[in-house]
Amino acid sequence: MKEILRLEHIQKVYGNGGSITKAIREISFRVEEGEFVGIMGASGSGKTTLLNCISTIDAVSAGHIYLDGQDVTEIKPKDLARFRREKLGFVFQDFNLLDTLTIGENIALVLAINRTPAGQVEEKVRAMAQRLSIQDILSKYPYQVSGGQRQRCACARALIHGPRLLLADEPTGALDSHAAQMLLTTFAGIHRQMGATILMVTHDALTASYAQRILFLRDGEIFTELRRGSETRGTFFEKILQVLTMLGGGAQDVR
Amino acid sequence: MYAKLILRSARRSARDYLIYIVTMTICVTLFYAFLSVSSRFYKPDIGVEYHFTILSDGMKVAICTVTLLLLFLIRFVNRYMLRSRQKEFALEAVLGMEQRTIARLFFAETLLMGGISVLLGIGLGAVCSQFITALLLTSYGQTYHPVWTLFPDTAAWTVGFFLLSFLAVGLFNTRTIRRTRIISMLSAGRENEAPLQKGHWMQEVTALYLLLAAVMTVQGGRMLVLGGDSRFALPVQVMFWANILAPAGLLVWGAVWAVKLRRRGFPVLVLGLTAGAFLCILSAASVLVLQRRYLLVFGAGGINQALIFLLADLLFLLCGVIWLASTLLVWQKEHSPACRYQGTNLFFFGQMISKLRTTSKTMTLVSVTLVLAILLFAAAPVLAGWANGYLEARAVWDIQLYSRYNDVRDTSDLPRGNYDAVTRFLTREGIAAAADCTFSLYLPRQEDFYNRAKYDFPVAALSLSDYNALRSMLGLAPVTLGKGEFTTQWKAIASERDREAFLTEHSTVTTDAGVLTLADQGYHADPMGETFYNSYTDVVYIFPDEVCARLLPVMRCRYIMTARPLPYETARALEQVFSDCYPEQAPGGAEYAIRLRTLQVNSTRASNFVLQAAMLYGAVVLIVICLTVLSLQQLLDAGQYRHRFSVLRKLGVEEQEIRRLVVRQLGFWFGLPVGAAVLAGTALAGCFVLVVQAEINAYIGFGALAVQLGMTAVILAVLLGCYFASTWVLFQRAIEA
Repeated sequence: MKEILRLEHIQKVYGNGGSITKAIREISFRVEEGEFVGIMGASGSGKTTLLNCISTIDAVSAGHIYLDGQDVTEIKPKDLARFRREKLGFVFQDFNLLDTLTIGENIALVLAINRTPAGQVEEKVRAMAQRLSIQDILSKYPYQVSGGQRQRCACARALIHGPRLLLADEPTGALDSHAAQMLLTTFAGIHRQMGATILMVTHDALTASYAQRILFLRDGEIFTELRRGSETRGTFFEKILQVLTMLGGGAQDVR
Repeated sequence: MYAKLILRSARRSARDYLIYIVTMTICVTLFYAFLSVSSRFYKPDIGVEYHFTILSDGMKVAICTVTLLLLFLIRFVNRYMLRSRQKEFALEAVLGMEQRTIARLFFAETLLMGGISVLLGIGLGAVCSQFITALLLTSYGQTYHPVWTLFPDTAAWTVGFFLLSFLAVGLFNTRTIRRTRIISMLSAGRENEAPLQKGHWMQEVTALYLLLAAVMTVQGGRMLVLGGDSRFALPVQVMFWANILAPAGLLVWGAVWAVKLRRRGFPVLVLGLTAGAFLCILSAASVLVLQRRYLLVFGAGGINQALIFLLADLLFLLCGVIWLASTLLVWQKEHSPACRYQGTNLFFFGQMISKLRTTSKTMTLVSVTLVLAILLFAAAPVLAGWANGYLEARAVWDIQLYSRYNDVRDTSDLPRGNYDAVTRFLTREGIAAAADCTFSLYLPRQEDFYNRAKYDFPVAALSLSDYNALRSMLGLAPVTLGKGEFTTQWKAIASERDREAFLTEHSTVTTDAGVLTLADQGYHADPMGETFYNSYTDVVYIFPDEVCARLLPVMRCRYIMTARPLPYETARALEQVFSDCYPEQAPGGAEYAIRLRTLQVNSTRASNFVLQAAMLYGAVVLIVICLTVLSLQQLLDAGQYRHRFSVLRKLGVEEQEIRRLVVRQLGFWFGLPVGAAVLAGTALAGCFVLVVQAEINAYIGFGALAVQLGMTAVILAVLLGCYFASTWVLFQRAIEA
């Protein structure tokens, strides 16, 4: 399998002088093309910081991040927006949809920003909406649909331009259990059918069980790694819970 | 605890509503500065011959009336503040605070911000009042010396006026907060506005305008029937028919749309009516311009009617243009995928359309108000220059005594005396005359005495010796005439074209003493007052003395130059003495009148100053209101915009593109109403200038007026630029925060 993401000795330090906080002490890992990787850890373990560094929203203090062989830590600030626009897709906990645009327009916006020919936009939006079962709500505004539908719209928006890497930050955090399950099924489907590479940060063991591989962070370092392999999701879920217990407490302590 | 909460909220609000505070401060500053002139403690040295009461009373009324407009601004801002704070109010209510308490806290907060503005404004107003004093003294021809005084009565008026305004608006707010349900507050701002097309205001405006078009058509027809004449020149004929056909065209278009084009949508109707409104504006304006040029008799009612139609047409034109521009935006988004999916256009459309319904109404209101402000700015120098120029042209003598014969039926009743009562008064008061001339005005032919048709009144004649005596009193060189020659003296208002036409037609004059021919120097136009011209005429003949001796004297005049200026009270007393001895309507029909330079200058300068100050104050207040509304409308929604622009950033849109989007958004909201207002205002001001072009030419001069208007335009452009730039900077900062 082709490597798509590689992190080498990443460090991230906040503050200066006497008050320094090491959010990421030392992290290195690789993600292959088409992999579905989950990142778990307690609150303050550095998982969101790690995601922000990979997505270029935040800069690393030391180390290198390679996406498709390109060192993103070396990209000039003025080129970062373009890099994000073309290579990455985002799904946020609070959806981040624009309330002034319809669901369809929210999805189309990404294509327009990426300069997709106008004639192809609507066709692509329809196809993606079909795949995520939101074709009936394309003309509705975000405040007119449910949380689950909004998040699926966010997924469609993140995937519509064919990003190299889909980054998801607690995608089920604002959803009820039914909507969360539907979304995770969608994620699994995207991964399976489209071969999308997904890096998902979550604190929820059930959500994480949909991934193929899970990296557990503790105090800014990778504590351990868990691969699903050919196991069923139920078995994988049990293993995740065991690791969480080893991390220092039960699932209730992991955020 | 509550005090702390109020202070903290006010501090945060001060940051958010900086423009509101700055605007309120400007308004208070202007209010105090202009009103300080009316203070009891204000005693400028404007000279003994001037009386100040007329001015101060007039100013008080004018300034307070104009300032009432500010209530609209205060209400507008408060409504926005309420809306943007609803979630916070809901949270406080959920935590157990009574809605009554929340309302009171909000009221205290706005009062605190207003209080700061009032204090700052009074301080700045004290400085600005110096400019007003300088302006006042200059208009009275005095030198300016700074006087640094805080007028307690003006300060009390200012505090009282604004406090009452804040209280009135605060009561509204309190009621709104107390009546709003918590759930409504919580969900406030989550939903978009209803689409523009679902609003009914344009439908209502259109229905009203069509009704008005029917009235305009009927009135146009009446005007033709009552005032039309086939002998009128072609432009007048066109004017009469245009005032019927243009509004009738609107009705026809309305009917065609209802029957055949309804399926194409309401915008098609508005488009046609907007184009028609433009034609109606031209036809209504032509009434105002041509009635003066061709001396058409419509009366004040007809002129006012044309003016009302013109304003109504203009109002609809502005509504139509802004509504169509908004509709075009929606149409372009819906029907042009190429445009919709180009770059960040989709986001831009979303930003615009989500606010279009209320904002298009606000924009129309702003646009109309701006037109009014532009008109005030354009009219102020014209009217002030006109009044000043006319004053210079008519108040050339210290004392003017004259009579009219318009109601005299018998020549034996014509006035003959030398106004001896005035001589006695001046002697009693110890006022010496530096120069004094009593003279008669004659009719060239006695039969003209009975010619009283308003527009065919006979031109009166003055003897050469009297004319030269008057000229020498004014320091002008004497005029000579050959045997059998005459010349003419003209009012400043007469245009060169009128003069040439008259002299071509009157190269010879038949008199009771024979025929006279026009001298080589056929006219003189030095300003010599306005009272020796016959009614409805701008010219007087100058005949040789021996000719005048054989003519019928119809008017008796006496002009006096006093050795020292006539004090105000003496002038009033003289006026009283004169009216007792020589009533305005004497038995036999003769009319007597007196004009005193002291009173003429006093009343003209005072009313002129009040007029100019009130118009400029009104214009500035209106401009400030409009620009603040435009600015605040964007800034107060910045909280929502911050989230939207942050999403764009996360999606990978460059900062440069975001800045461009902001400029586009602000450019649209500022550009459309301002652009429409500038076009309409310029057209209306142009029409006004055309109507009074004779007066401008006579008393101001087009060059001087152009310089004044140009400077005003530059100042306004700078003001607009400042507002736009500060809005842009604050907006940019808000979405970056």
